Amino acid sequence: MFIIDDLLLDQFGIRIPGLNLIWTLEQIRDFALREMYDPEKVKSNIKENRMLFELGEMTTDEYEKTNAKLLQELKLAKREAEMNLSIRTDILGAR
Amino acid sequence: MSEDTGNNKERGIYVYCMIKAPAQKKSFGNMGFGGEDVYTLEYRDFAPVVSTAAVKNYEVNDDEVELHRKVVEHVMKEHDVIPVAYGMAFKNKKLLLFAMSAGYKAMRKAMSEVTNKVELGVKVLLPKEDASWDGKEKCKSDFMEALKNKSAQSKELKLFSDRLVMNAAFLVDRDKIEDFSDEMGKLENKYANLKIQYSGPWPPYNFVDIQILSKRKGGFR
Repeated sequence: MFIIDDLLLDQFGIRIPGLNLIWTLEQIRDFALREMYDPEKVKSNIKENRMLFELGEMTTDEYEKTNAKLLQELKLAKREAEMNLSIRTDILGAR
Repeated sequence: MSEDTGNNKERGIYVYCMIKAPAQKKSFGNMGFGGEDVYTLEYRDFAPVVSTAAVKNYEVNDDEVELHRKVVEHVMKEHDVIPVAYGMAFKNKKLLLFAMSAGYKAMRKAMSEVTNKVELGVKVLLPKEDASWDGKEKCKSDFMEALKNKSAQSKELKLFSDRLVMNAAFLVDRDKIEDFSDEMGKLENKYANLKIQYSGPWPPYNFVDIQILSKRKGGFR
């Protein structure tokens, strides 16, 4: 019942932060995205990967695979930052 | 070349670094992007080292960053350099020279600081098996204190890994590199339990930070 009420209220642009299920879920999602797609964190991982390779703790193959994955993550992180996913526009005009 | 987000037919001038203007225009060979000739232009007593290249967003890509780095390192064998950030391409010579006129004072100051000097890098990190060693602070101050005495300037850099105890760059006179290396040898012996990465000589990337025509860090610098 709470969920239905919540969704209905949301359609009219009425939200009660903290009690609103969608708002709460969005906060969790945004936090997870920030953690996953923090460009600075990904850049640090790229540098660490390079350093461990140079120190002989990784094979060339391991280094290249991890580096390609991290560069892809960096691209997504930059895109995420540009898109600013925390702003959502409702079709009924509520934000 | 990496993904092109602009007009891929547009050609411009890519800048690798700045040097003091040589007596006459100089070519460093076909080592630029796309095998283009790397050569000098002239602005007052400075010479930007450039090649013809696409005007686009240069994305971080191992091969291209490496190419930029190799050109700058090649040039620094014979010249003092002010490194320019990766990815700086100008639509034409006029715009490049305009940027240089805007940054002329800063470039002169930077050049006076790096003349006859190179950058050396030191990273100290914990071995894989012993991430909880408790001598980190003492170790870091030992390294910094000893190496500051052998350098003109030093800069502590970000500890980008949990295993890093110290990450620093040092600006060292070309003729004092051996002194610095001797000191490093002593420290390596003292801290034989740690992994140490001593690298260089590099262009003075961490000691020149000129930003022109860009509010964003990483612009023309």
